[in-house]
Amino acid sequence: MNVSEWLEELSKIEERFVSAVKENPDFDNIFESFLGKKGELTLLLRKLGEFSPDDKKLLGRKGNELKEKIVKFLEENKNKFGGFKKYSFDIDVTLPPKKLNLSCAHPLTVTLNRIIESFEKLGFSVEWGPLVEKDYYNFEALNFPPDHPARDMQDTFYTELKDEKDKNYLLRTHTSPVQIRSMLKYKPPMRIISPGKVFRSEAVDATHSFVFNQIEGFYVDKNVSMSDLKWTLESFIKDLFGQKADLKFSPSYFPFVEPGAQVEVSCVFCGGKDQNCRVCKGRGWLEMLGAGMIHPKVLENCGYDPNVFSGFAFGAGIERFTMLLFGIDDLRVLYENDLRILRQIY
Amino acid sequence: MKVLYSWLCEYLNNPPDFDSLISNLTKIGFSVDDVKKIGVDAEGVITAKVLKKEKHPNADKLSLCEVSDGSNAYTVVCGAKNVDAGQVVPLALAGAKIGGGVLKKAKIRGVESNGMICSAQELGLEENSEGIMVLDPKTPLGLDIKKIYNPDYVFELEITPNLAYCLSHYSLARELSIFCGYDLKEIKIPDFTAGKDNFEIKIETDNCLRYCGIIIRNIKNTQTPDFISQRLKKIGVNPKNNILIDVSNYVMFEFGQPTHCFDLNNVERGIIVRNARAGEKIKALDSNEYELKEDVTVIADLKKPLAVAGVIGGYYSSINEKTSDILIEIANFKPSAVRKSSKYLNIKTDSSYRFERGVDFNLVEIVSKRMVEIIKSSNPDCLISFYGDVKRADKETKIIDIDADKINSILGTKISREEMTKVFKKIDESFDGIKFKVPSYRSDIESIWDLAEEVARYLGYEIIESKTDMKVMKSNTDPYLVLKNRFLQKISVFGFNEALNYDLVSEKDITNLGFDIKNSIKLANPLSKEFEFLRPSLLVSLLKNLRYNLNRGIKSLKICEFGTVFENRAGKPYENRRFAGIISGIKDEWEYWKEKEESMDYFYLKTVVNHLLSDFESLKINGKSEEKYMVEDVSSEVFLNGKKTGFFGMLNPEINKLFDVKADKIFYFDFDFDTLCSSYKTDFASMAKKPKSVSQFQYGIRDLSFIVDKKYAYRDIYESISKTKDLLDLRLIDVYEGERIEKGKKSFTFRFIFSSMEKTFTDEELNKKIEEVIKVLSDSFGAKLR
Repeated sequence: MNVSEWLEELSKIEERFVSAVKENPDFDNIFESFLGKKGELTLLLRKLGEFSPDDKKLLGRKGNELKEKIVKFLEENKNKFGGFKKYSFDIDVTLPPKKLNLSCAHPLTVTLNRIIESFEKLGFSVEWGPLVEKDYYNFEALNFPPDHPARDMQDTFYTELKDEKDKNYLLRTHTSPVQIRSMLKYKPPMRIISPGKVFRSEAVDATHSFVFNQIEGFYVDKNVSMSDLKWTLESFIKDLFGQKADLKFSPSYFPFVEPGAQVEVSCVFCGGKDQNCRVCKGRGWLEMLGAGMIHPKVLENCGYDPNVFSGFAFGAGIERFTMLLFGIDDLRVLYENDLRILRQIY
Repeated sequence: MKVLYSWLCEYLNNPPDFDSLISNLTKIGFSVDDVKKIGVDAEGVITAKVLKKEKHPNADKLSLCEVSDGSNAYTVVCGAKNVDAGQVVPLALAGAKIGGGVLKKAKIRGVESNGMICSAQELGLEENSEGIMVLDPKTPLGLDIKKIYNPDYVFELEITPNLAYCLSHYSLARELSIFCGYDLKEIKIPDFTAGKDNFEIKIETDNCLRYCGIIIRNIKNTQTPDFISQRLKKIGVNPKNNILIDVSNYVMFEFGQPTHCFDLNNVERGIIVRNARAGEKIKALDSNEYELKEDVTVIADLKKPLAVAGVIGGYYSSINEKTSDILIEIANFKPSAVRKSSKYLNIKTDSSYRFERGVDFNLVEIVSKRMVEIIKSSNPDCLISFYGDVKRADKETKIIDIDADKINSILGTKISREEMTKVFKKIDESFDGIKFKVPSYRSDIESIWDLAEEVARYLGYEIIESKTDMKVMKSNTDPYLVLKNRFLQKISVFGFNEALNYDLVSEKDITNLGFDIKNSIKLANPLSKEFEFLRPSLLVSLLKNLRYNLNRGIKSLKICEFGTVFENRAGKPYENRRFAGIISGIKDEWEYWKEKEESMDYFYLKTVVNHLLSDFESLKINGKSEEKYMVEDVSSEVFLNGKKTGFFGMLNPEINKLFDVKADKIFYFDFDFDTLCSSYKTDFASMAKKPKSVSQFQYGIRDLSFIVDKKYAYRDIYESISKTKDLLDLRLIDVYEGERIEKGKKSFTFRFIFSSMEKTFTDEELNKKIEEVIKVLSDSFGAKLR
């Protein structure tokens, strides 16, 4: 090896050092491969013995310059972040992950929670009522007198138990008895929602069930008007379906409200644009709630003077909302509890 | 009620087109359903006369007809039996559009046919018809059939009880004229004069408000006029083809007043409207005999009840083909009385439906004239020999003072007094701006609230703005919902799904679990035996969920439900909200390549229960479940503040068989959720978890294996050593029974984790602590180190 060959080797080592620093700045490894016992520079410096003292002096100086450079680099960069050491493993990362079942709440619960959340923002508090109810709370106090045909609007299940008026206890046909119970229990103002199961003696099919869920809402105070009702329901519907949702009120009849209204929401699927829409059947509107001003007789039945107090009330079926929101078109699916379906609701 | 569009339009001078009719009806509170277009569904069909009918030369069942449209004659092959010379018939010539296609000339058995004679079905006029349609012989020839049978619509109108005064075509037209600006035609019906037959009408009960009777004699033609039977047919009422029966239906659908015709031969000299006598019987028009009771109102003659007032006529006094003298009844009954009779007899008729909802007291005059007019038109020689109209009491006109401010405060509107006056004048023509006289047909209007609705109906509900100045109110936190969602969140970690079940179960479901059926609440009118009782336990439903899903190949079943259970407590209903869950099968539904399938067992369930209840500090798991359907040895009870609040464990495998659940082992938990809620604090300060401080010093860890007699329970051993000083955690890391140790013994390995806030324990210190533990174990349990 002559001087120029040695110098050429030295400059190659320097090049390799520079690229090693760039590619894999593993300092231990760099030290070992250049300055370790079998390091490239160590081995090259060892060859100096073959040269004349003059050459040795010259080459030694050049070699030590690089050595110092490496040492200095390692010293200076020891505590600086220069990237990570590279590790390699032999593994097939395309193997699948574990599938978890984290769906839990029933779609009706999910819907109800969301609806309650919506009304809580408007200051409504939750109340509950019994499912086995007295005729008085379910009908009479709500202005369904005995022998009134409005009773035919709700096919009722009666139990064999009798109340103190010798009337059969019944399975509540709506959540409205909670209006009566709350008005007797609290003083106005009261702003209450009451969700829960209700029962109607109807055969089960894709849109009917003898057990279903309703939510009742009402507000009693001085000077409550139908405008307040409209505002409340509009806030609720837009909260649930977005600002685009439109509401339409039209006359309807429930014995415990006057004036009564049916509330329709613009079809959330086609926006009223599809004549063949499966959901609204081309009508553009979906019946979602019943509502109205609490009937003066109902207020009187609870000991409130209808010329002083007024209130609004509304009610809706939870299943209807669930079916729309989750795209379920058969009510029975909600009560079959098929895990293959429920596990998808997450 | 079924409504015929053309019939309705007849009462209006400016009838609406069909689409605006529908939207107007909806606007004023009716809902329209099931719209059917009726009338001719064909193009280019004309009227023609059959000039000649001959047998087809090559076919026995076909005829060759020569038909004329007035200018040309055509040869047509016809297969109908009823075709005959002289008839006027609908003729479709080649090129006509019928049955969804275009008719072409065709050779039928060797003879060219220029078209076809149509049946009512082919024209889309009837759903089923036999033979060709034969038209009135006076029909002009060559006329487009559509000129005779206009396109029309029939629809189902849902009429809520408050709008029952619209249960007829005329009254619906009147409602449209008031609320939607259509012009109501004045109805002109000729008056009649009646003779003075010796006949008496007496009302002896308050259940009858008015009774009008008309006797018509010498009726010979009982054929129902075509327009009446056509209309009845279109609204789904079967015409009886006897005008004395059909006229009642027709007039009821025209004006809303139910009427009845008696055969006078079976009426003994007078009418008494009275309450039935106990034990009295009547054979009704439906041929059934009914025993009556005192609060059923009857129409009787001097001897017997003839009809059940407002509900159904009697069999013996009914119209028959020989009837020539009749008594027409046009009456008004108290709604609740008719409803009582109808419920008691379990008979619902169009008549009882209307009376229950209230019929206008003042309809008698117009209806009696219309009835007479119709019968007289086909019987010019009939004799009206009696007319009597008895009122129990005169109907008072209800008057409501109009307070515009009150109406505006109900609606939240600013409608002017003038505008309101305009609305009220539409309903009560005599309205003076203050006193509103309720028309006799509007029995639904009782107060200013009802009138507020009328204003909104008239002006449209859009008049009500969506705005508010409701005060701010605080929304209370409901512990039930908070805890329910907390539990759902917690149990989701284990992969449970929430189910929602029917609350009704069968008797067998209840007795299968060993519950006493006497303590369950039974329905008086169940839909079926399957849903006859309110469930006394959520287990019934969860077992069914388990079975349903097992049968569909699900292998990992973890289902929970929040629901109410019901109990008959000394004749009163008792409700308890509970939270229950059921598990069976393997831990994970989806096999995983890194893991082995693992069955769920009691300890898996115990882990779930422990996690769920970790928010309740005063909660203890203790003892064995007393429930009959649980395996006592593999179950535990849950106590909250010393009160039993739930239980969990393995279900008795007999249950699996009884409920046909093909599972090996089933585990179940059931908590009294009401009790849990009552001691659950929802303020955040109570809910927020407070961490204990951790030591800065190293833990000292020691494992200890020892052997004890099998009779000792883990809990007792644990409790005896868990109080050891400086013990941070005590973990059971192994339990062993088997060959490697003496029979009747078991081995426990505990891991002790010691920690101090002040220092790291030295080996000597740790050894000393363990020595103490060993002493306790050997003194109390005779434990030997392994």
